[in-house]
Amino acid sequence: MEKNKKKGPQKDSGKESLSRRKFFVSAGNAAIGIAALGSLGVTLDFLSPKVLLELPRRFVVGMLANMQPNSVTFDAEHRLIVFRDKQGYFYALSAVCTHLGCIVEWKETGIPGHPEGVIACPCHGSIFNKTGDVIRGPAPHSLDRFKMYLEDEKIIVDMTETVSEEEMILKV
Amino acid sequence: MDSQFWRSIFRTRLPIKTNLDRSLIIFNSLAMHIHPVKVRERAIRFSYTFYLGMISFFLFVALVVTGVLLMLYYQPAIPNAYNNMKDLQYVVSNGIFLRNMHRWAAHLMVITVFLHMLRVFYKGAYQRPREFNWVIGVFLFLLTLLLSYTGYLLPYDQLSYWAVTVGANIVKYVPVVGKSIRFLLLGGNEIGEYTLVRFYVLHCVILPLMMTSLIGLHFWRIRKDGGLY
Ligand code: HEM
Ligand code: FES
Repeated sequence: MEKNKKKGPQKDSGKESLSRRKFFVSAGNAAIGIAALGSLGVTLDFLSPKVLLELPRRFVVGMLANMQPNSVTFDAEHRLIVFRDKQGYFYALSAVCTHLGCIVEWKETGIPGHPEGVIACPCHGSIFNKTGDVIRGPAPHSLDRFKMYLEDEKIIVDMTETVSEEEMILKV
Repeated sequence: MDSQFWRSIFRTRLPIKTNLDRSLIIFNSLAMHIHPVKVRERAIRFSYTFYLGMISFFLFVALVVTGVLLMLYYQPAIPNAYNNMKDLQYVVSNGIFLRNMHRWAAHLMVITVFLHMLRVFYKGAYQRPREFNWVIGVFLFLLTLLLSYTGYLLPYDQLSYWAVTVGANIVKYVPVVGKSIRFLLLGGNEIGEYTLVRFYVLHCVILPLMMTSLIGLHFWRIRKDGGLY
């Protein structure tokens, strides 16, 4: 060490010591790294829209008086099928097929074994029963079921979360 | 012909007499120096490559030319996009011809790129030292499929809408990040205005640029890896 000092500028003084050049190279690389990560972050942020002109997920599907018992109402905009059973209770199923997202259709005539009617998907042939369970086809699970409410004669559906077969029933 | 003007453009001297002159024609030409000056005879035989790579490349060039022309009558907005497509078919002179050229070339390109890949595979041409060019090729194939997929939404008809719905839901099954990728790809939870613009920019700018760069790299590698296997 003593010798080195006398020789003037240090060149290769062992592993531990950080030369001036090495220090600036590392600092520079670190700065570039941080800037790169930062720009990746802001770019991803830029790419995800903050305001979406999409439909509200909780809304009024109709007035109680307008939906008769034993009726099926298809809401194309919200992709929803609303059933009012013979006994009078309501339930709502998503019309989006759980296979790959096509819009399913209510078939009143049903199929052999299911005369009460079925819900069929036009894309790859999935068939669901009247309460949304898979009868056959590539669909991996039942249609999404949503909670419904009755608020001053208005029937409201909340599509923000899915519920079980029992919870979806709205008794009126 | 051997004027200064001619020679300022074509550096090869005329008339061509020797083998050196012949090799210089290849060497001095941008289009032809894709081949080295000397190639193995079998490498330029039709039965060897079936020219599948070059056919794919020419289809891509045809797609760029017809695609740029289609852009002149196409607006990526709802409902303009669909109406533009109808106008292209029924109002614009030769519009339907152009659209069909673009569409058929796109279908053909998927087929020829795939067959090219098969030929490389069955010839064993993916082996050392050409492994990396195989990897580039895989990306070229993916880009071809992505171009088809993004282009498919642009007419914005029923077929487009549902095909892209199905595709975007397949993306959702990617572990962990699937849902975020779908959201970024669609620019929302459903296909809408943002989706159309995103697919348009991908289809007409980003993917073609990536394709062009990778094709360049692919060709350059063929030369550097010692010509065709
Ligand atoms: C620079 C290159 C390209 C440009 C500028 C371009 C541009 C366009 C435009 C403006 C459209 C909308 C009009 C239409 O639907 O016909 C379109 C559609 C389409 N493009 Fe491209 N394109 C390019 C390359 C490709 C490639 C490489 C493929 C596939 C291998 C492809 C596949 C398609 C398909 C399948 C459609 C739908 C065609 C139809 O429905 O008629 N495009 N393209
Ligand atoms: S999307 Fe319904 S069966 Fe495939």
